[in-house]
Amino acid sequence: MNWNCTLVEGNLSDFLEGALSAEESAGFSAHSRSCPACAEMVEQVSALMGGMRRVQAPEVPPRLVKKILDATLGPQPARQGWRRWFTWAPAIWETRFAMGVGTVAASFLIVFHAVGGPSGAPQKLDLSPVHIVHAANRQAHLTFARGAKFVSDLRVVYQIESQLRPEPEMEVPAPAVEQLERPTPKPETEPEQERKPDSKDPSSTTPPSTRDLEQSSPRENQEQAGAAGRMVLAVLRIQPVNHARSLS
Amino acid sequence: MQRHTRRVYGLCYRFTGNAAESEDLSQEVFLRIYRTLASYQPSYGAFPTWLTSVTRNILVDNYRRKRRERLTDSIEETLPQVEKRPSPERSPDRLALDAELSEQLQQGLAQLSPELREAVILRDLQGHEYAEMQLILQSPAGTVKSRINRGRIELARVLKEMGVGPA
Repeated sequence: MNWNCTLVEGNLSDFLEGALSAEESAGFSAHSRSCPACAEMVEQVSALMGGMRRVQAPEVPPRLVKKILDATLGPQPARQGWRRWFTWAPAIWETRFAMGVGTVAASFLIVFHAVGGPSGAPQKLDLSPVHIVHAANRQAHLTFARGAKFVSDLRVVYQIESQLRPEPEMEVPAPAVEQLERPTPKPETEPEQERKPDSKDPSSTTPPSTRDLEQSSPRENQEQAGAAGRMVLAVLRIQPVNHARSLS
Repeated sequence: MQRHTRRVYGLCYRFTGNAAESEDLSQEVFLRIYRTLASYQPSYGAFPTWLTSVTRNILVDNYRRKRRERLTDSIEETLPQVEKRPSPERSPDRLALDAELSEQLQQGLAQLSPELREAVILRDLQGHEYAEMQLILQSPAGTVKSRINRGRIELARVLKEMGVGPA
């Protein structure tokens, strides 16, 4: 059989449903590979059939069954007594009803957990209004205290970091740079006192730079670490955090 | 009852594209079934096949009645309106999980002739076998297969024009 575009179009459904013989399928495929128009058509129809298999059936209106029963068997007598309160019962089997019930239950669970409901097996006492209000009040205070503690901790950390951060190097004007590059005789009298005034003064809170720490001796390092520790304590004294009071 | 109602209503909705009209037609189908139940014979096929056959006959009657009414109306009001909005090329496979495909498929089906539309609906959306479709459509196997094939190709072409195509 000489496969052309007309034959491919006429046998497209048979090919996609696997109704062609092996020889016919080979001829069909060979032509589809060589003909872009047929290849596109095969791809589109194949995708369409796959999509239609997944399409959901239209939702039947809830009252349609009752209308059909009324039209065939005649109007049903109105339910008497307690049964008339359960005319909505058939709607329970609707998919939308089940989804709505699930959503409401999930919302209740989330709210119950947010107000501090017990994580374990619930007891009868947990459902009393007084207990629920008390638990919600406690959960709100706990949340507030945790937030306040977090903010205070952040503030302390930032203050310590800002104190320990090495100062940015001062920009030296161009003439000064030239002056530094030239070999100049070292001053003999005051350099030591000018360069390290803080290392000999333990009461000073000025933090040493990283370069100073690297170049200083072990004794100087101890003194500088002591100064940093005192500085940290001073910062902590500035911002006291009394978690016990905030939680009570 | 629920299963049969779903089948009948689904066929009516896919063919007409109108929920209220499908509800009335479904009611009419069951009313006719109820009245002619005593005349049902096994040669008509299984009960679901017979139910679909009755539904199809009522749909065809309804279509012809509407076509006669349409002659007195303006053409623009009665032609099926397809919203040709520019939308990116998307695969029907991906859209299958989306309700949008159902709506676009409905708009595409409205563009087909009644013969091709009912063939595609019965085969691809309701899953009828070829033998059942011969009974429902009262047509030979070759005609049924040809309508299904042409309906699929035409529907794919319409959906491509609407911007729904394979990725």
